[in-house]
Amino acid sequence: MIEVKNVTKKYGSFKAVDDISFEVNDGEIVGFLGPNGAGKSTTMNMITGFIDTTEGEIIINGNDISKKPRKAKKQIGYMPEGVPLYNDLTVKEFVNYMAELKLVNARHRQEKVEKVIEETGLKEVENKLIRNLSRGYKQRVGLAGALVGDPKVIILDEPTVGLDPKQITEIRDLIKELGKNHTVILSTHILSEASQICEKVIIINKGKIIAIDTPENLEKKVIKGNAILITVEDPKNNMENLKEKMPDILDIKLEKQIEDGTKQYLITSKKDSDIRKQLFEILPKEDIVIFELKKVEATLEEAFIKLIENNKGGEE
Amino acid sequence: MWAVYKKELRNYFLSPIGYVAIGVFLIVFSLIFYVTNISIGAYDMGNLYYNTALLGLLVIVPLLTMRMFSEERKTGTEQLLLTSPRSITGIIFGKFFAAVTLIVITLIFSLSYYIVLCFFKAPNLLPTLAMIFGFLLVASAAIAMGMFVSSITENQVIAAIITIVALIIPSFTGLLTVIDLMNNYQKFPAGIISLSEVINLLAYAVMFILFTIIIMQRRKSVK
Repeated sequence: MIEVKNVTKKYGSFKAVDDISFEVNDGEIVGFLGPNGAGKSTTMNMITGFIDTTEGEIIINGNDISKKPRKAKKQIGYMPEGVPLYNDLTVKEFVNYMAELKLVNARHRQEKVEKVIEETGLKEVENKLIRNLSRGYKQRVGLAGALVGDPKVIILDEPTVGLDPKQITEIRDLIKELGKNHTVILSTHILSEASQICEKVIIINKGKIIAIDTPENLEKKVIKGNAILITVEDPKNNMENLKEKMPDILDIKLEKQIEDGTKQYLITSKKDSDIRKQLFEILPKEDIVIFELKKVEATLEEAFIKLIENNKGGEE
Repeated sequence: MWAVYKKELRNYFLSPIGYVAIGVFLIVFSLIFYVTNISIGAYDMGNLYYNTALLGLLVIVPLLTMRMFSEERKTGTEQLLLTSPRSITGIIFGKFFAAVTLIVITLIFSLSYYIVLCFFKAPNLLPTLAMIFGFLLVASAAIAMGMFVSSITENQVIAAIITIVALIIPSFTGLLTVIDLMNNYQKFPAGIISLSEVINLLAYAVMFILFTIIIMQRRKSVK
């Protein structure tokens, strides 16, 4: 379990992280979301003890990272941003070195190194120099370095940056697998990633936490009504008057005019009413032909943008 | 400490640096051997070690120390190092002793010159060992200083240049003689172990090791 209590990090008078608190329970996969420069890496660097907090405390499974660094750090596997590696070492030497650094008992070291190399799919390149590996493999080596010695907490800073789609899927699957018996914190600015693999999302902006919730709840939170995207042929421009005929409609907005003469509108209606059936009944009477109609699902993307915008509004 | 020590020592020999350092040492040592011994037929090795300490360390020490922390900082691997459960002090000593070990290796090579001289007239062994011991202390002090320099910049070249300058200025210009290491390598070449020289050199090394520890600790809070 990770407890972050009222943590602030100041650089001079600039607050990179401003009084954040949250908890991550055992076996949870938590995503850290935020635009670039929001304070994600700073927070992770504080949790892993790479940098000190200016105020507040961070407790890893009961051990304060600044007071009992040895005990606390022993429980953490960290893959920093950009995946720094020792390029002069081979994969096996690197993982072995990480195991030594992490105080893995010499008797079990060999076996644990082998196990982690196996798990991360590095067996075939274990004797290659890291500098000669492709980006995807390097990422896995970084992951292997974080995993060796079975730390209970895994912290990954932007684990999928720079990978091709297939590698991204592989790494994500691996992280999900890890989540079964580890506590995982990962940062990302790819929202779909967070909604796919994380059970809980922490959205951070300008050093402040603006939301902590499950991806689904966050998505629900931002939806004020039902949105429907509709493409119609409407020679008499009757769409504009639709609002009077259907009181449930809150707003009709012309999204775009398509070359073949059809128009696309975004219709928002009250939260609890589904107007699709009504649309099909009423529109033909108004000489409007429906080409396409679909319900718009809110995404984490929108939740994110909305939350960040709200946050801005609050400040000004 | 030993994990870092082993890795650093191996790294010297995985990259050309270890070989270059030993090679440069032997070249400088051989040239000076020719001047101070062969050409004038002297069998005393005091001048040989003195001049090698004066000239050879200028090249070897920056080679060994310039990468120590600056490279780790530049490539980001210091994040791996400093988030491991190892203490900063242990990491610093590991790196320091790895570099010192390289000097020990070169000094073992230097004994071959002693053997060469034995064919003509054997120099006294104990005074020679005192010279070597002193050389090791001077080198350790210089390494500690170079290590400190490496911890304050992420640019290896700058680290190397500052280290060289810090070694050259006191020895060759007469400025800042307080920090002149060679001031404390005066009695060793005569085969005498002087307590004041030993203490001065050790203090110099300890001081810079402490500075390095302070810098690395402090970087945690200001970074």
